[in-house]
Amino acid sequence: MKIGVLALQGAFAEHIAVLKRLNVDVVPVRLPHQLEELDGLIIPGGESTTITKLMVNYNLAHKISELAKKNFPIFGTCAGMIVIASGVANGKIEPIGAMAIKVKRNAFGRQVDSFETELAIPALGKKPFVGVFIRAPLIESVGKEVKVLAKLPDGTIVAARQDKLLVCAFHPELTDDLRFHQYFLDIISGKR
Amino acid sequence: MAEAKELQAPFELVAEIHKTGKLPVVNFAAGGVATPADAALMMQLGADGVFVGSGIFKSSDPAVRAKAIVQATTHYHDAKIIAEVSKNLGEAMPGLDIKQIPPEELLAGRGW
Repeated sequence: MKIGVLALQGAFAEHIAVLKRLNVDVVPVRLPHQLEELDGLIIPGGESTTITKLMVNYNLAHKISELAKKNFPIFGTCAGMIVIASGVANGKIEPIGAMAIKVKRNAFGRQVDSFETELAIPALGKKPFVGVFIRAPLIESVGKEVKVLAKLPDGTIVAARQDKLLVCAFHPELTDDLRFHQYFLDIISGKR
Repeated sequence: MAEAKELQAPFELVAEIHKTGKLPVVNFAAGGVATPADAALMMQLGADGVFVGSGIFKSSDPAVRAKAIVQATTHYHDAKIIAEVSKNLGEAMPGLDIKQIPPEELLAGRGW
């Protein structure tokens, strides 16, 4: 299996390290031709304005949105979730609109308000998953084709899936828990 | 263990660095970065990111140069892109020749 990690800005090195631990081939994606022959793509966390601006160069945004229309598996974490959303409540961001979710950027406040918390994610099993929220976004609303995977105790949606599109507001690549990435690989191989 | 003792560093830290090949802290490069190629070089040497201040603002066309440096940092492995974005940027931040600085202004003489 060959997975691309969008490597324009942000936590791409950390995602690449996790995928290597899961023994898959990894391609850092900076140019459109690097999207060819991939089985899936991870769009990492980082700064969403920067990532979306850099995606416009070399036509990456267009190419990725074309792939998403063809049911190509994409996993967006934090800023990556914003990138594939269909609407962003705040900020001058133009997401590629692949997934029927509306998101809010920096939804929990400034850097000092970043936090870690244990999340119940039934799709990953009984053991709670530690969510690392760094100036994280949240999902304000989802379309009927979207399945919610995780919520905070107050009901805020922080992870969801729509067919082969997977998103979370937190950073699974910053923990030693490989289950979220494994879940994405299982979506690609059709096990989940 | 012997290596950790030799370095007088915690064993766990030495073992982790041996495994990952880098320190467990983010390493940003800064200072004297004036061209897109400078920024790309920092990345090739293993920096996680590059800070550029005067290299942009003391150049003749800061906006264009800032864009080019961002591109070169992202595509730091791609010599062709680095060459392409390095075209038509105007004048880079001027350097100072040590011989042209009056002795009383040299840090070595005046102290901080």
